[in-house]
Amino acid sequence: MSRELTLDPRVDLGRGLLLPNPVGVASGTFGYGFEFEHLVDIQRLGAIYTKGTTPLPRAGNAPPRVAETAAGMLNSIGLHNPGVEHVATAYAPRFAGWRVPVVVNVAAATVEEYVDCLRRLEIDGVAGIELNISCPNIANGLDFGRDAAAAGRLVQACRAATSRCLIVKLSPNVTDIGAVARAVEAAGADAVSAVNTYIGMKVNLGSGRPVLPGRGTGGLSGPAIKPLALAAVAAVRAAVSLPVVGVGGIAEPADALEFFVAGADAVQVGTANFTEPGAAIRVLDGVVAYAEAHRLGRLTELRAVPAPQPA
Amino acid sequence: MRRVPDRLRRSDLTRTVDERGEVVAVDELDGGLVELSARLPLLAERTLPGQFAQLRCGPGPVPLLRRPFSVAWVAGDVCAFVFERVGEGTRRLAALHRGDPLDSLGPLGTGFTLPPAAGRVLIVAGGLGCAPFPLAACWARRSGREVTVLSGAATAARLYPPERYRRGDGGISVIEATDDGSRGHRGLVTDLVEAHLDASVVALWACGPNPMLATLAGAIGRADAALLPSVAEASLEAPMGCGFGTCLGCALPVDDGDGRRWALCCTEGPVMPITAVDWERLRELPPAHVA
Ligand SMILES: Cc1cc2nc3c(=O)[nH]c(=O)nc-3n(C[C@H](O)[C@H](O)[C@H](O)COP(=O)(O)O)c2cc1C
Ligand code: FES
Repeated sequence: MSRELTLDPRVDLGRGLLLPNPVGVASGTFGYGFEFEHLVDIQRLGAIYTKGTTPLPRAGNAPPRVAETAAGMLNSIGLHNPGVEHVATAYAPRFAGWRVPVVVNVAAATVEEYVDCLRRLEIDGVAGIELNISCPNIANGLDFGRDAAAAGRLVQACRAATSRCLIVKLSPNVTDIGAVARAVEAAGADAVSAVNTYIGMKVNLGSGRPVLPGRGTGGLSGPAIKPLALAAVAAVRAAVSLPVVGVGGIAEPADALEFFVAGADAVQVGTANFTEPGAAIRVLDGVVAYAEAHRLGRLTELRAVPAPQPA
Repeated sequence: MRRVPDRLRRSDLTRTVDERGEVVAVDELDGGLVELSARLPLLAERTLPGQFAQLRCGPGPVPLLRRPFSVAWVAGDVCAFVFERVGEGTRRLAALHRGDPLDSLGPLGTGFTLPPAAGRVLIVAGGLGCAPFPLAACWARRSGREVTVLSGAATAARLYPPERYRRGDGGISVIEATDDGSRGHRGLVTDLVEAHLDASVVALWACGPNPMLATLAGAIGRADAALLPSVAEASLEAPMGCGFGTCLGCALPVDDGDGRRWALCCTEGPVMPITAVDWERLRELPPAHVA
């Protein structure tokens, strides 16, 4: 007797971006996908969120750029990337032939630069845009992410510049993440992702200095931040009715399930890709097996935090 | 005249596999060196001398990241790694027992280059820089080259044992130096290079602390061009988040003709042409904190 599947794994993030399943890979932890092509079946992923892409190529910060912490890591990569032109001409044609949707993560310094990048990405192969207003590792990387009014103005301008699904990636380094989420919802975002990394520091007592250079801070990611990220996702869920993409410390199927309970519609696996290239696929298989075992039709049935009613 | 730098190469990730192996032995060598060997058939079959594997140090989230280790030697389907207990990860690996599982992601990175010309390969190893060379020396011998290893460490106890470089091959000669003179030449291993760098040397391969490699690079820069081997390569180190070019965490300063830039140690290295590394800029950076 063939077993009947109960789960519909698809997730609609809006504006035509229908993810084949809820488990994607987080920006900055999966390159542009090619790096993993020989290690995992990337076409099975729910989405690939690319490395943060800027108007011009960026060489990145001086090393050391990564430092391990208890159950986590700090990074200060500084948006090392080939720039939007290269992504548009050399990578997007490859994405266009993939089954997995590719969402390009975009970071810039001014509204005009964000808008220019988005216009350049109105091409085949770009399934959506993840607006990075939350990079803690470049000067002014958080200017938009920390100020609800500025975030709203940026999203409004970006909304007019792109026909793609616009996902805004929120920073957890704020007092009220719900307020920023509400501002970007009102400005026309299709979805939000939460969270980017937490500002952190590691000190080397031997040298009497922080391990990371410059300001000495970096972005904390990995299992260490999962409880913080869950709380942030629940706060965002309670604030907006948009789809929420949960990210932060997911390494096991159970971690992902906890994000659905907290209110996520989809998730991203980040740092875990570094230690286990097949982590996201394993998380996906585990989530689907759980849903089948519990006869779930949709993963959102796990939700314990209700979304507000749309106004 | 400044020598035109050799270009960096890029690793071939199509050969990389995530493989669960089994520990065969954990050997305590003198001076705190540990040699871990494990049955890892795919890594054994695919690795090139100078390449590395990312080893998982335990099942849980602490320590989180894998640790990179050069493949020290291969015998049948067994691969070995040489390290010191410098932190939590290496302590856990050293505490493994025969039969324990060991997760390896590899081979990764670039390997050493052996030019087609007949002649001698000169290896310069400082301290833990011995790690890639038993395999590399054996490969050069099998390819019909003579091999001289200049092996240096702080003290005699910390020298990687010469018979382990040779692994039964008398054609590999090992010449030693110690900082305290407890064995061989008293002083730096780089002191020995000039005497051994003659026209018969077709390749120079080096691995060790950055100051040692920088000294070597300086000597090569000054040497008579007629004496320079066509290949002069160094294996470098950087803190790594992933090992396969996605975290962009392992930046090293290079200048290989496209101007000064950051190269990734894990995919454009760890083996780089010694003239392509920006040694001056590297010296100004804080030392790599590898645990
Ligand atoms: C090395 C590294 C680089 C990252 N680069 C970016 C980036 O370019 N853009 C972005 O929006 N997020 C970036 N992130 C944040 C991740 O996408 C993710 O939000 C965060 O790491 C939390 O998830 P995790 O704990 O599963 O890694 C980066 C994270 C890491 C560890
Ligand atoms: S270690 Fe991640 S890019 Fe090199």
